[in-house]
Amino acid sequence: MNAKQADKTVIKVDNLRREFKVAEAKEGILGSFLNLFSRKERIVKAVDGITFDIGIGEFVGYVGENGAGKSTTIKMLTGILTPTNGSVEVAGIIPYENRIENAFNIGVVFGQRTQLWWDLPARDSFDLLRAIYRLPQERYERNFRELTEALDLSKLLTVPVRKLSLGQRMRCDLAASMLHNPKILFLDEPTIGLDLIAKDAVRKFLKFINHTRDVTIILTTHDMEDIEALCERIIIIDEGTIAYDGSTEKLKQDHIHTKILEVEFHDYNPELENLPMLEVIKSEANKKWLRYNLDGTSMHDIISTLFRDYCVKDLSIHEPKVSDVIKAIYKNGGMERASVND
Amino acid sequence: MIIASMRSRMEYKLSFIFMFFALLVFYAGQVGVVVLIVTKFHHIAGWTLGEMAFLYGLLVFSQGLTAILFYSLNDFESYMINGDFDRLLVRPLNPLGQIVSSKFEIASMAHFLIGTTALIFGAQKAGIDWTLGKVAYLPVVFIGAVLIQGGIRLAVSAVAFWTTRNSSLVHTVIYSSKEMIMYPVSIYKMWMQVFLTLVFPLAFVNFYPSHYFLNRGAGDLLFHPLIQYLTPLTGTIVFVFGYWLWNQGMVRYQSVGN
Ligand SMILES: Nc1ncnc2c1ncn2[C@@H]1O[C@H](COP(=O)(O)OP(=O)(O)O)[C@@H](O)[C@H]1O
Ligand SMILES: [Mg+2]
Repeated sequence: MNAKQADKTVIKVDNLRREFKVAEAKEGILGSFLNLFSRKERIVKAVDGITFDIGIGEFVGYVGENGAGKSTTIKMLTGILTPTNGSVEVAGIIPYENRIENAFNIGVVFGQRTQLWWDLPARDSFDLLRAIYRLPQERYERNFRELTEALDLSKLLTVPVRKLSLGQRMRCDLAASMLHNPKILFLDEPTIGLDLIAKDAVRKFLKFINHTRDVTIILTTHDMEDIEALCERIIIIDEGTIAYDGSTEKLKQDHIHTKILEVEFHDYNPELENLPMLEVIKSEANKKWLRYNLDGTSMHDIISTLFRDYCVKDLSIHEPKVSDVIKAIYKNGGMERASVND
Repeated sequence: MIIASMRSRMEYKLSFIFMFFALLVFYAGQVGVVVLIVTKFHHIAGWTLGEMAFLYGLLVFSQGLTAILFYSLNDFESYMINGDFDRLLVRPLNPLGQIVSSKFEIASMAHFLIGTTALIFGAQKAGIDWTLGKVAYLPVVFIGAVLIQGGIRLAVSAVAFWTTRNSSLVHTVIYSSKEMIMYPVSIYKMWMQVFLTLVFPLAFVNFYPSHYFLNRGAGDLLFHPLIQYLTPLTGTIVFVFGYWLWNQGMVRYQSVGN
């Protein structure tokens, strides 16, 4: 990303906090009335003082384990939730105060929930969105054509959304979120539960729109492979606070020294005496998951030894889990705040 | 969005026909009870059969209007329970508008059938002389009555922002409000009449305005005779209150965690 873009900030988040009061609700009419006045409450600090700026056209990965506070952050940025404290500004607008104005600027996709009308075919949902966002006919048609082509939707458009597979539905949701040319696209775990092919389609599309339209994209995930494939910048959130904010490249250099090797052998599962540097994490039938250190032996040596000494049927390399990355960050000296432009 | 809901409604033609007749049967039952009582005792608290019918007609007709506009709020808690309210908040439209236009209950037409019948029958039987003032005031009363009942529904729905679940409250309020003002409010004890005037002002839906239409004088009015004309004002106040509470609730909206 170049310097000219970086100084045009579209999202400003300053010391943002959100708490939830979790109550043990009483049942019944009387209960729901009593709940109004008194209840036992526990306070959960979902987002606990986060600060960052995002520039126009950036593609930012917002990463954290389950319950880290990713969705809560996205909900404050999209105007769904009012912050408990701190400030948030999206394209110059305070989302929770100017929800409608903000809605025109943003596209939103939630992996676990569709934005489309459940009983209608996607085509009809798109038509409704055209009316809701008051899109001029010819702009709508241009977008529609471009998006259906990029996402290969032509066969899906006439099927009621509830009958689509998760991957197909996600493709329709992505198109729906981009119909009104939003400046900023928020994606909350868009790849969750998808198979490899569907994940790949999602990633390809996101790359495509980030390049062809100057869309700023914030993507939450707990899958490091999404980040590896897409995001130049990564923000890691852990228990409501930011554990890392910087370039993905630098994160890898500084903190990711291991990768996971998934090896499938031909109808056996050998002890790997010739490769003592590989730590066995899991072993199952004729498959092994092995952790190896990038600083030690070269990847080339490992793989050639594997193929020379053992009967390998298949092999793939995985990024480490988010939890491992977070552990590594804390081990190497805790909180880190590298700027994107270092 | 109305088109969308009509479309998905079409698929449920059978359920529509069923709902329609269920409503008819329900109201026939109500009417039956009233007719039985009135024919037996000639009148209730000084109200004749015709006057009772007019009172009832005002209630049912305005309820039909309210149901058409606010029916989808009955199930508002489902938006809270599964977090569907999120989706409404990221669209460039008023969330309340999106909810009320999401479902269109055609079966509430049954209200109009019964309401109109009761109004015409009651007006005839009670011998209402339709002065210009009365003709003009009737739609105003309907608007006021819809605002009262709509405002109450809105306030009761907004409770879900605090409690998540509110269906038992919604149903209790909707059904008890039908029952409470089926009869002239003057049959109740004093505290109940005050309650239905100042706290839960359903008496303005039919009881007070009927006095004007039926030229009943002020005999059974608890307050100043001017109260006959206060339906639109009360409606405005109740609705503004309901909408205010709704907006307070929206700020407190918690969404759902996964
Ligand atoms: N609506 C809510 N009510 C109560 N607690 C919530 C709510 N939303 C989130 N939380 C809690 O806040 C924390 C952060 O949740 P969330 O932002 O959904 O995390 P993530 O998206 O990273 O998995 C979790 O402990 C979660 O249980
Ligand atoms: Mg989440």
